[in-house]
Amino acid sequence: MVEFWMRSIEDLGREEVMSIVDKELHGLYTEKYAPTRDLIIYFAPRENIREIIRRLMMFSYTRLSVIVGNDERYFRRDFSLTYIVSFDKQDLYIGVRTYLPEYDLEIASIADMVKAAWWNERENRDLYGIEFIGLKDKRKLVLPEYWPDDAHPWRKDYPYNKPVMDWREGLPDYKPVGRHEDLDVIGLGPYHMINDEPIHWRLYVKGETIVDAEHRGFHNWRGIEKIAEGRLTYNQIPFIAERICGICGFTHATSYVQAVESLAGIDIPDRARYIRSLMLEIERIESHLLWIGIACHILGFDTGFMLSWKIREHIMHLAEVLTGNRKTYGMDIVGGVRRDVLGDRLGKARDSVKKIRYEYRELYNMLINNSILVKRTRGVGVLPRNKAISYGVVGPVARATGLDIDVRRDHSYAAYKELSFDVPVYSEGDVLAITLVRLDEVFESLDLIEQILDALPGGPLAVDVKDIPENKEAVGVVEAPRGEDIHYVRSGLYNKIQRWRVRAPSYANIPPVKEMLIGYRLADAPIIYASVDPCLACTERYLVIDVDTGSKKIMTDDELRAKSRKLSTRIG
Amino acid sequence: MAKYFEKTDKWVVTFKYPLEPLEPPRELRGKPEINPDLCIGCGACAEACPPNAITKEIDYREGYAKIKIFYGRCIYCGRCWEVCPEGAIVLTNIFEMATPSKDDLIYEVNLELHTCSRCGRYTEFTERQVHRAYTLLTGIPRERRKELLDRMFLCRDCRRQVFSHDALRNRRTDKYGRASQTPF
Ligand code: SF4
Ligand code: SF4
Repeated sequence: MVEFWMRSIEDLGREEVMSIVDKELHGLYTEKYAPTRDLIIYFAPRENIREIIRRLMMFSYTRLSVIVGNDERYFRRDFSLTYIVSFDKQDLYIGVRTYLPEYDLEIASIADMVKAAWWNERENRDLYGIEFIGLKDKRKLVLPEYWPDDAHPWRKDYPYNKPVMDWREGLPDYKPVGRHEDLDVIGLGPYHMINDEPIHWRLYVKGETIVDAEHRGFHNWRGIEKIAEGRLTYNQIPFIAERICGICGFTHATSYVQAVESLAGIDIPDRARYIRSLMLEIERIESHLLWIGIACHILGFDTGFMLSWKIREHIMHLAEVLTGNRKTYGMDIVGGVRRDVLGDRLGKARDSVKKIRYEYRELYNMLINNSILVKRTRGVGVLPRNKAISYGVVGPVARATGLDIDVRRDHSYAAYKELSFDVPVYSEGDVLAITLVRLDEVFESLDLIEQILDALPGGPLAVDVKDIPENKEAVGVVEAPRGEDIHYVRSGLYNKIQRWRVRAPSYANIPPVKEMLIGYRLADAPIIYASVDPCLACTERYLVIDVDTGSKKIMTDDELRAKSRKLSTRIG
Repeated sequence: MAKYFEKTDKWVVTFKYPLEPLEPPRELRGKPEINPDLCIGCGACAEACPPNAITKEIDYREGYAKIKIFYGRCIYCGRCWEVCPEGAIVLTNIFEMATPSKDDLIYEVNLELHTCSRCGRYTEFTERQVHRAYTLLTGIPRERRKELLDRMFLCRDCRRQVFSHDALRNRRTDKYGRASQTPF
């Protein structure tokens, strides 16, 4: 990793920063344009990309959000790559776009410089066949190993309903990189029916200590974006977007509709903005309580688990009353929301918030006064701040390492500009800090719900949207319970979407887990991995390799949890 | 901690379902039901349904339009409910739909197609759609109404023929010799 000379821009205004960036990139880019209020796109030849990103990352604090590949051969016979860098304090996204002709798809990798690019580059390599020179990790990320190297499903000439082709014989070959290359490792299937996101970790241990970790995920990658581009119209996509995640689905739907509204220049009614905020906060409480419960369960503190999920049940009932469903609220549509919060439902919402606050305060006191819980999490899984910046972590994980970012405040959307809330920030970077950030955020969300219920303005729920403009682009961002959820949308012809890229917060938060695991005990692995709040059930099976003896054993998650619980008993 | 155990049974939040029946809240978005008496077969619901759970098929041989809902695909979003011009679809709060047979999940409304008053072939719209359109005629100025009435009962081909014929007969040209009236 290259250490940067940092230049602080935290206190500068937006215009100032825009002119500084202009000056900084002078001569490196050919032209620029601003598709929407919060997105500026610079066009640059590919030789300059590395230098531009280096200069952009030199500001403190910026982070690489996502690299969007696109097949633009129908417009201009090229592929494009857009590196979207977030300037959080200035409410600004800067995209750097380069075009690569079809016959020469090569570009210098930036993954050695900015770790956040690591997964993004591998993904674009799989799906568009763009070759990143200097990228060390050439394994597949989203596609299975047996997938032919010359078939790239996100190219537009690859039909969305084409089945898997050319099934190669034999087991998938997923070799570890780096110093364990000589080890003969058999990839063990992390498939499990109950997960929506199975993940496979390889932990290299020396006795009890973890010396390295590797990850393989995306087993259930379905290419939802391609389906949406292929056959859905823009107003059907919110419903499929909501099904990307089972816990924070509404943030995906909101991100998507915000991107479309932004590219079409639609102003949604005030009431719709407030109702969106209301549902987002309900979802945050639901998600955090779920996480708190599971973290307690992993640490062998099942009373906390039961109590937390019991409180969660109130919020699920509230969501059911407000939207008609416990999850997948189905409230979002381009131009507003679909269901109103009226009459007795307002009263019910107030009552539940009161009840939840009362019960949650008791749970909170119980958790932070629990010495086992504190001992098991303090100083465990520390993510150093420079690594956090390089990996571009978001959400509670970032806030636990002292990075004061929150999309609700920084890239304000929905009704958050008119509401007041605090963003809890801790600087330790360990699991305890992450836990405390989440515990505090529940109180903030409860406050926000009360504020919204008090200030809910009248008026219509949605504006009528007929056609969306062609060939416009925008990003939509939402602070999901796990961090920044960014959707890039480019509209196509006939009210369809030409490109839709979803970067969920876990996409930024899972790669650094590798760094967080190293040096800690095997029994701490479940809570470290759980602390970034991926879909926890994904960690159904670990593969443990003892470097000294070279032996391999497979531990089910249950065994590992049992180990983790035994440690708690010892400490207690 | 004893405090929490004391309280737990007072705070029971789960239900004994399925041992006891469960009363869902009235807001629940459950099984969408089509009222066959109200449906006119316009197909707006099929157009809006995100996962294509509702489809509209036209059988020109037998003369039926079939609105078919397959609950296995339904995501209970309620788009059909919003767009139906007749209020024929309502999302009930029925949620117990498990069944051993896939056929139980299919519900069909068959509506007669309208026959063209000129050529006698089946049109692509239903009898009820024509009736519905007829009821909308009140309040429209008389000349316009007459014009609409003339076309209303024709199939698409006949409409084209009749009106291009009319248009040709009444054709006027501007000073460049081009037709100033578009035929339709
Ligand atoms: S509720 Fe939604 S998915 Fe179900 S039939 Fe209606 S529109 Fe289709
Ligand atoms: S929208 Fe209503 S009237 Fe039209 S076909 Fe569907 S159910 Fe029938």
